[in-house]
Amino acid sequence: MNVEINGARVFFRIHTGIPFLGDFPVTETLVVSWIVMIIITGLCIFLTRNLKVENISKRQAVAEWIVELANNFVVNNTGGHKYDKLIPFIAALFGTSLISNLISLVGLRSPTADLSTEAAWAIVVFIMITAEKIKSSGIGGYLKSFTTPIFVMTPFNILSELATPVSMACRHFGNILSGIVINALIYAALAIVSNRLFGLIPGAVGRVLSQIPILDVGLPAVLSVYFDWFTGVMQAFIFSTLTIMFIANASEG
Amino acid sequence: MNETQSLVTLVPWTFIAQILNLFIQLFLIKKFLFKPINNILKKRQELADKEIRDAKTAKEEAIEMKNSYESSISEARDEAARIMKSAEKEASAKAEAIVSEAKDEAAGIKQRAEADIAQERKKALNEVKDEIGGLAMDIAGKVVEKEIREEDHKKLIEDFIRGVGEAS
Repeated sequence: MNVEINGARVFFRIHTGIPFLGDFPVTETLVVSWIVMIIITGLCIFLTRNLKVENISKRQAVAEWIVELANNFVVNNTGGHKYDKLIPFIAALFGTSLISNLISLVGLRSPTADLSTEAAWAIVVFIMITAEKIKSSGIGGYLKSFTTPIFVMTPFNILSELATPVSMACRHFGNILSGIVINALIYAALAIVSNRLFGLIPGAVGRVLSQIPILDVGLPAVLSVYFDWFTGVMQAFIFSTLTIMFIANASEG
Repeated sequence: MNETQSLVTLVPWTFIAQILNLFIQLFLIKKFLFKPINNILKKRQELADKEIRDAKTAKEEAIEMKNSYESSISEARDEAARIMKSAEKEASAKAEAIVSEAKDEAAGIKQRAEADIAQERKKALNEVKDEIGGLAMDIAGKVVEKEIREEDHKKLIEDFIRGVGEAS
């Protein structure tokens, strides 16, 4: 029995004729991303309906709790109110990442199971970090920081600078991908075990039961608590934390 | 459905689209979550501030009122004391006046009584004088057995009576 794990499906391609970039592929990643965006935006609209100053509804309490959580998250990680303008960005990043990771629970393919997604986020964060560094120490100071502590360290400094977005993207992608791979392997393995186990039952009953992967019910759900829920929440949290910490550190270093 | 991309790959278009998606999501979350919620939080903050301000003003007013009450009470107390004092003074003055009037009156009465007594005494004395005069003449007439002419001996009798008056 072969286990096959594929990348995101490409539904169709839009012909663009632009050199190098080629045709625009409408992939599963993009479609599910749009679904995620609709879910988040819909949730935001739903939670912020009928806002009141006093005597608030449960929905409003949840919305305020989310906003306060985002505020505290950024303030605690940067140690001040200097980066308050980044709060919505961090919230968008965390929310998108979280919902993207967890949407695999309903059987859709996570947009985060496509390296392009994480790479896109990481490059945005990288540009923000670099912009923050240049803003705080000037372009000269920024370039000079690569030659510290001695000039020969320059290649390594450049490498470590580039490693930041690469490691961020790959960490997130790797965790989600590993969840998918392990899930696929467990499903396949349990199907085989189930086939062999019920094949032991003699006669027609065994023949029929051995064709149904009975063991696939139950156990994968338990494992998905870790591989989907825990990893999904954790990676979203780690990605947002690293983002805000790198940006906050950029102006200090 | 049959075409899939490889498991680990970077698709430029997807990459670009995801960057745009992130910023669209940022805009949407800002517009639909952060803006209304922050608005409402700000409003609530303002309301709380206003309430605190109002409470402070009310407290100040209460203190002011208390001060004015206290001052007016002490004023009233002073006024009462003043009235009491003046009443006392007036009363004592009146009493004094009454007493002195009474004294005067008593003195007047005494004086009049004295004058009356003196007059009565004078009158009584004169009566006595006249009586004694008559008596003496009767006695003398009887003694000398001869009618004494009142006119003739008047001087003598008066001298005698004066001597009696002085002796009494």
